[in-house]
Amino acid sequence: MEIYVLVKQVPDPEAMVKVKTDSELEIENKYFTNFFDEVAIEAALRLKEKFGGKVTVLTVDNRRVDALRRGISMGADDALQFSDPALEGSDPFSIAKVLATYLKDKPFDLILAGRQAMDDDAGIVGPSVAELLGIPHVNSIIGLEIEDPKKGAKVTREVEGGKETLSCPLPALFTCQKGLYTPRIPQVMNVMKAMKAQIKKVDLSAIGLTTTDVGPHSAKIKLNRYFPPPKRPPVRIIKDDFPENVKVLVKLLREEAKVI
Amino acid sequence: MEKVDVIIVGGGLAGLSCAYELANSGMTILVLERGDFSGSKNVTGGRIYLRPLLPFLPDIWKDAPLERHVVKEILTFMGRDNSTTFELYSNRFNQEPYPSYTILRAKFDRWFADLVSEKGVFVIPQKNVDDLIKDGEKIIGVKTDGEEIGADCVVAADGILSFMAEKAGLRKPLRPQNVALGFKEVIALDSKIIEDRFRLERNEGAAQLFLGTLTRGVMGGGFLYTNQQSLSLGLVVGIHSLNQKEPREEVYKLLDQFKERPEIKNLIKGGEVVEYSAHLITEGGIHTIPKFYTDGMLLTGDAAGLGINMLVTVRGMEYAMVSGVLAGRTIKMAKAKNDFSASTLSHYEKLLNESFILKEMNTFRYTSMVLNNERLFNHYPQIISDIFEKVMWVDEKPKEGIYKTKMTELKKNFFNLQTLKDWLQFRKI
Amino acid sequence: MSNEIWVLAEHKDGKVKKITYELLSASAQFSKKTGGQVATILLGNNLQEAVKSLMTFADKIFLIEDPALTFYTSDAYLPSIASLINEHRPSILLGGATSTGKDLFPRLAMHLRTGYVPDCTDLSMGEDGRLTAIRPIYGGKVFAEISFSEDRPQMATVRNNTFIVDQELNKSAQVISVPFQTNHSLLKKKVLGMEKVGGEKLDISEADIVVAGGRGIKSAENFKILEELADVLNASVGTTRAVVDEGWRDQKDQIGKSGKNISAKLYMAFGISGAIHHVLGIGTCKTVVAVDTDPNALIFNYADYGIVGDLFQVVPALTEEFKKVLAEGA
Ligand SMILES: Cc1cc2nc3c(=O)[nH]c(=O)nc-3n(C[C@H](O)[C@H](O)[C@H](O)COP(=O)(O)OP(=O)(O)OC[C@H]3O[C@@H](n4cnc5c(N)ncnc54)[C@H](O)[C@@H]3O)c2cc1C
Ligand SMILES: Cc1cc2nc3c(=O)[nH]c(=O)nc-3n(C[C@H](O)[C@H](O)[C@H](O)COP(=O)(O)OP(=O)(O)OC[C@H]3O[C@@H](n4cnc5c(N)ncnc54)[C@H](O)[C@@H]3O)c2cc1C
Ligand SMILES: Nc1ncnc2c1ncn2[C@@H]1O[C@H](COP(=O)(O)O)[C@@H](O)[C@H]1O
Repeated sequence: MEIYVLVKQVPDPEAMVKVKTDSELEIENKYFTNFFDEVAIEAALRLKEKFGGKVTVLTVDNRRVDALRRGISMGADDALQFSDPALEGSDPFSIAKVLATYLKDKPFDLILAGRQAMDDDAGIVGPSVAELLGIPHVNSIIGLEIEDPKKGAKVTREVEGGKETLSCPLPALFTCQKGLYTPRIPQVMNVMKAMKAQIKKVDLSAIGLTTTDVGPHSAKIKLNRYFPPPKRPPVRIIKDDFPENVKVLVKLLREEAKVI
Repeated sequence: MEKVDVIIVGGGLAGLSCAYELANSGMTILVLERGDFSGSKNVTGGRIYLRPLLPFLPDIWKDAPLERHVVKEILTFMGRDNSTTFELYSNRFNQEPYPSYTILRAKFDRWFADLVSEKGVFVIPQKNVDDLIKDGEKIIGVKTDGEEIGADCVVAADGILSFMAEKAGLRKPLRPQNVALGFKEVIALDSKIIEDRFRLERNEGAAQLFLGTLTRGVMGGGFLYTNQQSLSLGLVVGIHSLNQKEPREEVYKLLDQFKERPEIKNLIKGGEVVEYSAHLITEGGIHTIPKFYTDGMLLTGDAAGLGINMLVTVRGMEYAMVSGVLAGRTIKMAKAKNDFSASTLSHYEKLLNESFILKEMNTFRYTSMVLNNERLFNHYPQIISDIFEKVMWVDEKPKEGIYKTKMTELKKNFFNLQTLKDWLQFRKI
Repeated sequence: MSNEIWVLAEHKDGKVKKITYELLSASAQFSKKTGGQVATILLGNNLQEAVKSLMTFADKIFLIEDPALTFYTSDAYLPSIASLINEHRPSILLGGATSTGKDLFPRLAMHLRTGYVPDCTDLSMGEDGRLTAIRPIYGGKVFAEISFSEDRPQMATVRNNTFIVDQELNKSAQVISVPFQTNHSLLKKKVLGMEKVGGEKLDISEADIVVAGGRGIKSAENFKILEELADVLNASVGTTRAVVDEGWRDQKDQIGKSGKNISAKLYMAFGISGAIHHVLGIGTCKTVVAVDTDPNALIFNYADYGIVGDLFQVVPALTEEFKKVLAEGA
């Protein structure tokens, strides 16, 4: 199978992220490969192990290619970085445009992405790429079975209060949710190879896009301001002994918080 | 079996310093760290002295993410409900190169790991080394989740519990009397607030140590370091003397009670605990250090039991970093000869002997013995504060002369055989 | 372009979901500013009951019924909705930040070449009919206030419990049946089946009250005591990744960064240490209660009320106490 995986380097969930100014964030320099993208890479590798073929990881990023290296160290065959100054300030739709434009005349059976990127938490790029390529997509899958790539895939996705199973022809795009697979930890020797690997760069002109196709001016939404999350008042520890403390808590929930 | 030149087990200060020394040496250097990233599992109180390091690591400090340079040394003796504090400020502390800084390892180690990576060292996290590979007695590689990797030399930089040192037969399991337990909270506070509460200028820091009832007579003490936007507050207690104590103190309770003291409460008010950690500390000193080398292997930092405990100040970071550098130098020398046998690697011990490391450890060889004395941790701190309190106390009764007050107290508490004994002991450190 | 506000209705087994009423209630407020009508799009099969229950909440109901719409799939829903929108040009299209909303809206927005803000925790509207959206990013470490370009409709998905249902809207909707035009042969995806997990309980992302247990609960069996507490409060049971990885609970119940964001009125955490990855998922809960044996557990930093104690003692006692007071209350 010919499989492409869309990957992104994002701040580690533990990284400090603070509001610097209305339009600027201060982000601690702790990055990792978006967890859901690693799940997607794992899924792609398992399919490759089953049917043979090729797994390619793609990222649109002017700086960070670690996600691509992670992909290679896990076992991806090829990696591509789309970078161009004009991409600064692009929204997920523009990112999708870049990826789809590159992919539209490539032969492929499957595109995998993450459920969402742990920075903008948008979940937009995957479905948008599918729309631009005119292929079906299924969001947030936790199950993926392919008997014969020609016959399509059977996927399971999370829905409220249950799991829904669908059949979907290929080529298609699926976004992956935790629970699909546990990403493998790459072997030391593969990590070393990946660290040495030359990463291929592609700019906008190479895929026939112009600087006006992307960037802030093409964005359909506009950031007014960032602001810090509302702070909770300090916790009120109920110091009474058991079982009195339980009674007090229930009373507070009823009469003070009024949630019961 | 794939092979590299050097495998360093543990991406803490010792391991990374060794890697730094070996970077650009033409050798393939591999650092395996079990944490999600360097610094993720590393606990320290948080105070590092630069001067001992400059000769060995002259040029990394310019951009190093250190916290605040320490301009105030504060020592507090704690009684049950009173305390006496000595505060030392010196212009010397405020002259570059600043002698000492507070430090947060999660930040510093991660930065250091990136630095050595840029220099071509392979620092690979999420890799727990499970075992050593031997050829007879010679160490020839490591096993990490199923994968076998060979190397000319393996450096054990895996911290105080060094599984590597044990596997290599260089060290026996730790004994309680040789380790202390440290607990620490990082409490986030606005930098402005920190500067106001400790009366500091921007980037200036304070180091406060506490001795007395806070450890309930258990050997140890408390520390409080000011970081840029947080405080590091913790306790260090000797495990042995902790075990001897009946009823057994719940140690985390000690820290909570400590935080409840008015002296502390007001310093941390409004802060939010963002990190809580516990970790072992080497206490044994020079009596308990293992052999530092064997065929194909060197021990560094805590793994080699390097570090000293002067009263409540623990010093291990400089020891870890310098021993790492010296191990690196030894390996370069061995590479030149292409001989990694014990006899060549013994050069490492020579370097350690010539450095401050073993000299200081020798000077402080009796500390842990002397410190194993309950009176130091409740009796003396208590009376210091009591006397001072009496001197300052005024009430309806006519006040006694200061001298008289002092003398009666001193007679009662100091001019006795026990104190004399303690005093003689003290001269050993 | 009209100044209508549209809401994509969601329903399960013919019953309209609470989020739809919440969005219609908010839309009614917005429409007061612009005088535009509030419409809802209802797609599915045999929706009489749903239509009835929506009558008083909207001015218009666009009803599209077809067996092919029994289950949501983007390729069945999208063309119908897109052509309706192109015909009527509403100013705003809202949906729930649900499995359907998150699957459909980004693709629909791309299709319509218009702006879309996902997973909002608040919306407001200016006199000029411009929507302003608030949403957490970086897992809730930061909030962003976002506005839209000139393109219409302004699209957003909104979290559960963001708006309060207004039962007194007293509208009487005009029902507009729209034929389902998409050729069945073009429908590529087929829903083969739906496996219900967790019985009739609401999904944690929809529930008003969520009680959650972490590794402190120590075994799958022990979750029974939480289930009992949940039954009394009509709550759903959530959990942490550690527990899911242990295999004690289903992935769908995981709260946090790699699980679900919940915005319950009351969230109670038992035996949960409060790792950042977990608490990022509860940032928009109104009231948070934490019970943990470890007074230093980070979860207490994120709680309104805390008890330092053994959950195996506290949970059963809570269950009894709630039983008592709720009985009195009733
Ligand atoms: C509470 C406390 C307060 C202290 N205060 C001070 C102070 O103020 N000043 C000072 O100088 N020193 C202080 N110390 C001592 C100092 O922190 C240590 O001496 C120093 O961290 C030792 O560094 P190291 O690199 O040798 O070990 P560590 O920093 O412990 O690094 C060991 C590394 O090896 C990794 N590792 C372990 N096993 C494996 C394995 N099998 N495979 C892969 N990786 C592995 C660990 O994850 C860790 O990253 C304090 C210590 C404590 C606990
Ligand atoms: C990329 C990434 C994503 C992640 N995403 C998520 C996520 O989405 N959601 C998530 O939850 N985690 C997530 N995690 C994992 C997270 O870091 C923590 O490991 C996890 O949340 C811990 O779960 P826990 O609190 O149940 O277990 P623990 O951390 O082990 O906490 C158990 C708690 O129970 C207490 N306890 C024990 N016994 C009792 C008792 N009898 N009574 C009361 N209290 C008791 C203990 O004191 C302790 O505080 C993620 C991690 C990573 C790296
Ligand atoms: N810059 C990017 N380059 C490549 N893939 C991306 C990029 N941004 C997002 N993606 C993919 O789209 C998914 C959802 O991202 P988002 O829409 O930003 O939440 C991610 O998990 C990735 O798989």
